[in-house]
Amino acid sequence: MRAPSILIVHPDHKTQRTVQRVLGATGYRIDVADDLGQGVRLLAHLEPVLVVVDGSAMSSPSVKQFFTVAKARGAESCMTLVGAAQLEQMSRILGLGAVTNLLVHPMPVLGEELTITAQKLLRSDLFGAEKYLLWGTKLNATTLTQASQRSQLVGELAEQVRGRGQSARVASMAMLVTDELLSNAVHNAPIDAAGRRYRAELARDGELALDVRHQVALRWGCDGRYLAIEVTDLFGSLDRDTILRALVQNDVKTSGSGAGMGIALTYRSCDHLVFNLAPGKRTEVIALIDVRFPHSERVPASSYNVFVERS
Amino acid sequence: MLVIKGAIDESAGLSALLERAQDRRLVLDLGGVTFINSLGVRDWIRMQAGAQRAGIAIELRKVVEPLIHQLNMIIATRGAARVTSFFAPYACDGCGREDSLLIDAVAHAQGLAKLEPPAMTCAECGAQMEFNDFPERYFSFLSV
Repeated sequence: MRAPSILIVHPDHKTQRTVQRVLGATGYRIDVADDLGQGVRLLAHLEPVLVVVDGSAMSSPSVKQFFTVAKARGAESCMTLVGAAQLEQMSRILGLGAVTNLLVHPMPVLGEELTITAQKLLRSDLFGAEKYLLWGTKLNATTLTQASQRSQLVGELAEQVRGRGQSARVASMAMLVTDELLSNAVHNAPIDAAGRRYRAELARDGELALDVRHQVALRWGCDGRYLAIEVTDLFGSLDRDTILRALVQNDVKTSGSGAGMGIALTYRSCDHLVFNLAPGKRTEVIALIDVRFPHSERVPASSYNVFVERS
Repeated sequence: MLVIKGAIDESAGLSALLERAQDRRLVLDLGGVTFINSLGVRDWIRMQAGAQRAGIAIELRKVVEPLIHQLNMIIATRGAARVTSFFAPYACDGCGREDSLLIDAVAHAQGLAKLEPPAMTCAECGAQMEFNDFPERYFSFLSV
């Protein structure tokens, strides 16, 4: 049996080389396939820890077979790269429900996203917004001890973001993201032994003291590239399938209804959304808002990662 | 005309505004709205649905960017309301200033239908500002 490797499936040789160079830095051997069929054949001889698939392959009828074989061969996770040409197929790609890591940005941002995603998976070191920020970036930390602190914290964060020179638009995106993540962590994360979400139906504007178990941690910081907002609860009740269902939600677009609407809105209000899950222990969600580019130069889609800590 | 300020969230109670309609017409000035969350979106949709059931025509003025964002993202938030003016992002290539500027949707209806944002001048350096979003995305709320 061959040593663990990373498998790249991409039809474009130039992109293959770019991804190969980026991921080659991990030290793992890189194998390359031009299409899913070739990928499946290669998988018979490989044990990839990671597979990276081009978004164009997502419309292939053999995509499900490929994912099944990759998983059976031990691939921990799959990264999918979406180029500009495939952005219109985002709904379909999300709808597959199998893509746990979707990267939509072109180089050089793709290089950053690829490297961090791969290193987190390979090292099994998932938590912390620091991984997405430049060295030395200070993260501001606050703990929510009363549910009613949410609106105050959101307002303060927006003021501080504006005070540090960011645009009103960035501050507005930060407000929405922070509010939704805090609200989810306070009301949807707590579950009892039977798995019942006992605070989900409580009025969001009601007063609620949060003991140590129910407290929610908020950290945020900006390195001039990203504004990172990180929210952590100590229940670890959010699961991969719930997240993937929420991200794909089409009824959000038409009716604005449905469970998981907060996640769907958060995803659509940032440039990169990261879920770090330690089942039963903690859930950490990191929203990254790219502050480098004017809005008109941004990719009209967002990347996401769903990482699950191995037990 | 009713002026709405602050956050539209779980405590907004927007449907109660329908009682303030006059001659089945409700005009909302939204220039002071700071943000809207998912619970506010639900409340907003309920208000729109209530207005349609009651035959109340809603006019939205000075719609701020966070609301435009939702109108574009969630079709149900548009209801049958008519947007007569709204804020849009502009950026100056000359001095780098970014602004949210008010657009009269009635006066510029023709250009907006062709996804052509009106020209704006930078308040800081006097240069012509560029529209700072994708017109086909930002103006999609006007298409319903």
